[in-house]
Amino acid sequence: MQTQPFVTQSAPGVRYCALETDRFKTGQVDISLALPLEGELSAGAALPFFLHRSCNRYRDFTLLNGRLAELYGASLTANVKKTGEAQVLSLGITFVDDRFALAGEQITRECAGLLLDMIFDPYLPGGLFDAAAVEGEKRILMERYKSELDDKRRYALLRCSRLMCADEKYGSNPLGSEEGIRAISPLSLRSAWEKMLSTAVAQITVVGSGACGGLAQNLAEKFSFAGRQPVLPETLFIERAGQTRRYTERQPVSQGKLVLGLRAGMRNEEDNAPAIRVMTDIFGGSTHSKLFTVVREKMSLCYYCFAGLIADKGILFVQSGIDSEKSALAEEAILNQLDEMKNGKITQKEYDASLLSLSDRYASVEDSSAAALQWYAAQVLRNEIKTPAGEREKISRVTKAQAVEAARSVTLDTVYMLESEKEGVHEGQ
Amino acid sequence: MKVNEITNSALGETVFEAKHPSGLTVLVMPKQGYSTSYAAFAARYGSIDNIIMKADSTALSLPAGTAHFLEHKLFESEELNAFERFAKTGASANAYTSFDMTAYVFSCAGHFRESLDILLDFVSKPFFTQETVEKEQGIIGQEIGMYNDDPGWQVFFGLLKLLYPAEPVGIDIAGTPESIAQITAQTLYECYRSYYHPANMALAAVGDVSVQQVLDAVDALPAAREGAQPAKRLFAPDYSKPEAASAEKQLAVSMPRFMLGFKERMSAAQLTAKQSVLSSILLDIIAGKASVLYRDLIAGRLANPGFSSECFSGHGYCVHLFGGDSPDPQAAAQAVREKIASLKSAGIDSANFERSRRNLYGQMIMMYNSTDNLANALVSSHFAGQRLFDEFEACKAVTLDDINQRLEECFDENLSTVSIVSPLSTA
Repeated sequence: MQTQPFVTQSAPGVRYCALETDRFKTGQVDISLALPLEGELSAGAALPFFLHRSCNRYRDFTLLNGRLAELYGASLTANVKKTGEAQVLSLGITFVDDRFALAGEQITRECAGLLLDMIFDPYLPGGLFDAAAVEGEKRILMERYKSELDDKRRYALLRCSRLMCADEKYGSNPLGSEEGIRAISPLSLRSAWEKMLSTAVAQITVVGSGACGGLAQNLAEKFSFAGRQPVLPETLFIERAGQTRRYTERQPVSQGKLVLGLRAGMRNEEDNAPAIRVMTDIFGGSTHSKLFTVVREKMSLCYYCFAGLIADKGILFVQSGIDSEKSALAEEAILNQLDEMKNGKITQKEYDASLLSLSDRYASVEDSSAAALQWYAAQVLRNEIKTPAGEREKISRVTKAQAVEAARSVTLDTVYMLESEKEGVHEGQ
Repeated sequence: MKVNEITNSALGETVFEAKHPSGLTVLVMPKQGYSTSYAAFAARYGSIDNIIMKADSTALSLPAGTAHFLEHKLFESEELNAFERFAKTGASANAYTSFDMTAYVFSCAGHFRESLDILLDFVSKPFFTQETVEKEQGIIGQEIGMYNDDPGWQVFFGLLKLLYPAEPVGIDIAGTPESIAQITAQTLYECYRSYYHPANMALAAVGDVSVQQVLDAVDALPAAREGAQPAKRLFAPDYSKPEAASAEKQLAVSMPRFMLGFKERMSAAQLTAKQSVLSSILLDIIAGKASVLYRDLIAGRLANPGFSSECFSGHGYCVHLFGGDSPDPQAAAQAVREKIASLKSAGIDSANFERSRRNLYGQMIMMYNSTDNLANALVSSHFAGQRLFDEFEACKAVTLDDINQRLEECFDENLSTVSIVSPLSTA
């Protein structure tokens, strides 16, 4: 069921967006705060994690989590990610709807209040963040920073993206750097917190039965303080790749990972986006795509091979897990499929399947509370809120010729290969 | 078909249950206000089912990874494969194989009936040739390679291999490149005949669906299958001690990861709903985010916030496990063991019990948001001999005495061990 979200500007650079529905048994609230992806990023990156572990009312996370358990298993999340060339810090809370309270508690009001407290009323003994807690958070953030090595699929994608955009802000790690993490202090964290409140572009997103009505007003009050000057982060779009760059890295892994980074020919996030989305889906979106049917099913080269568009930066990545010795064969097979599209070889069947599949996926967004929340929260930097129904409509108007034209604007920028070292995996007892 | 209607008024949900003449169980849960649907057609056949009992009572051993291989190959047919057929309805189709079941699933926002017909049809019509079997060995070989590099997967299977060295639950679901090389089209047909019997299967549909719509589709299936009997599972409890106190494997990771597991002495093949609920509450009391142990492990730099626990159970196996990243896995495991020992001697206090019960109550309600979780839970609870709402009801009924008794049942020091994945030594 498609519902129009309620959207209002709460304060300068602060938007409230609520999808009111009673079909879910939960309520979810997210606050996303966007800052330019530049300069020293680590203290900012530590903030959402640090803030979601305590607040002035519940001064350590054992007390806080005890309270969340009493609130029928409410859960807090924190995250740091890139959206275009912005560092987006987010905090969220998920809770059961008030109708399930066994003793008439106002779960929604309490949870929404807790989330605001995390951000605006942290525990500040002596005016600073607690030194021991800051040290603990630095250790956890450093482990998070280093753990990107553990998931090889993600690692290869991150490596390709950083190498491809090494001269752009997008090449930065939103967690900053090892040095930056080591340098975090109670003072620098406090400065990052103040900077976030006074300069971030923010959006609070609510999905649930609508009992969060007072939240928009609360948010407006909290963000209406003297000296607040939101700064809108801007993203550089590079339409075409120069000469293709190639990187190979070796690790003692069992499976190789091939990642192709391509420029999508976009000058901004909206530029020809529906046609590029349809083209990307025909290329490698799902089980009906060229990459799945040819590289996996016909050639048996891999278990996964897919393409994904990052519209907020105008790039797309093809990812595949393959035998290291077959990287040249896989790369050729992938690029052949792109060339086919450029040469107009998109069958009616492929085109119909993609339109139908994309349409189905857009129509499904608002049947999942988590997916709906993510859909709207991800738009913190957009001027106008997009709805899944609106995007579905745009996709339905893309012609096959437009998809071919979109493929012609795609250029290969970077080829990254994580290769297997032959020593293999060491085992012992 | 007679339809049984089961309503849970606290949750505001109803499940319709029917039995097709072929023996297939049909479970339907319409969801008010939803415009999407999710269906799961599943066989009670997973990686633990590694033999076929023949009519003459002899057993045929199956290569490791056969159930998973069959799952991949069932998408194939003489003409269009299942993915090509779903491409005409817009549904997203997938499948998965676990230790004790195989499920074929799709989600859609329209054309539900057409997609359901495709699902029922392709799962009912096996088509395997030696050529397509060999082709799949390349694809699954890459899938196995991917799991070999996955520290979470490796630490988990490392634990199962120690706890169940002689049992199929200790064998990797996807098998190995060597084991899957032994699979032939003939193997797959034999497994299909034995395990994909309608009486050994269930169909669940959740979301924007009606009971009649699903029953109409199921009516098109043959009423009986000739000459075949559904496979039976035996319960042979395994109380043997773990192979070693710990085992370690090295991978290209940033820091060590560990998993501590306690094998349970099971008195029946499956946990009851009540036992499952008690285990969840117990684990939350011992190691949940509001626990002293969780706080101390993080403050003592022995774990990070990803530290978690789980009750992993199915037909013939049950392990309570604790794990996460740690610079000193043995010290972290020791801290967990000490916490359990101290709880055993002091008993669990009622405030902690009530808080964790309330935590679980909320989390169970949250599960009822998601059509995919619900469809999968409908089939898995059916295969476990339970009904979907049983755990929710059990959560309301369990007592402090129950939890203290469960604490004694499931943490036997002699049946515990630690699996570790550590970074490659640079030496």
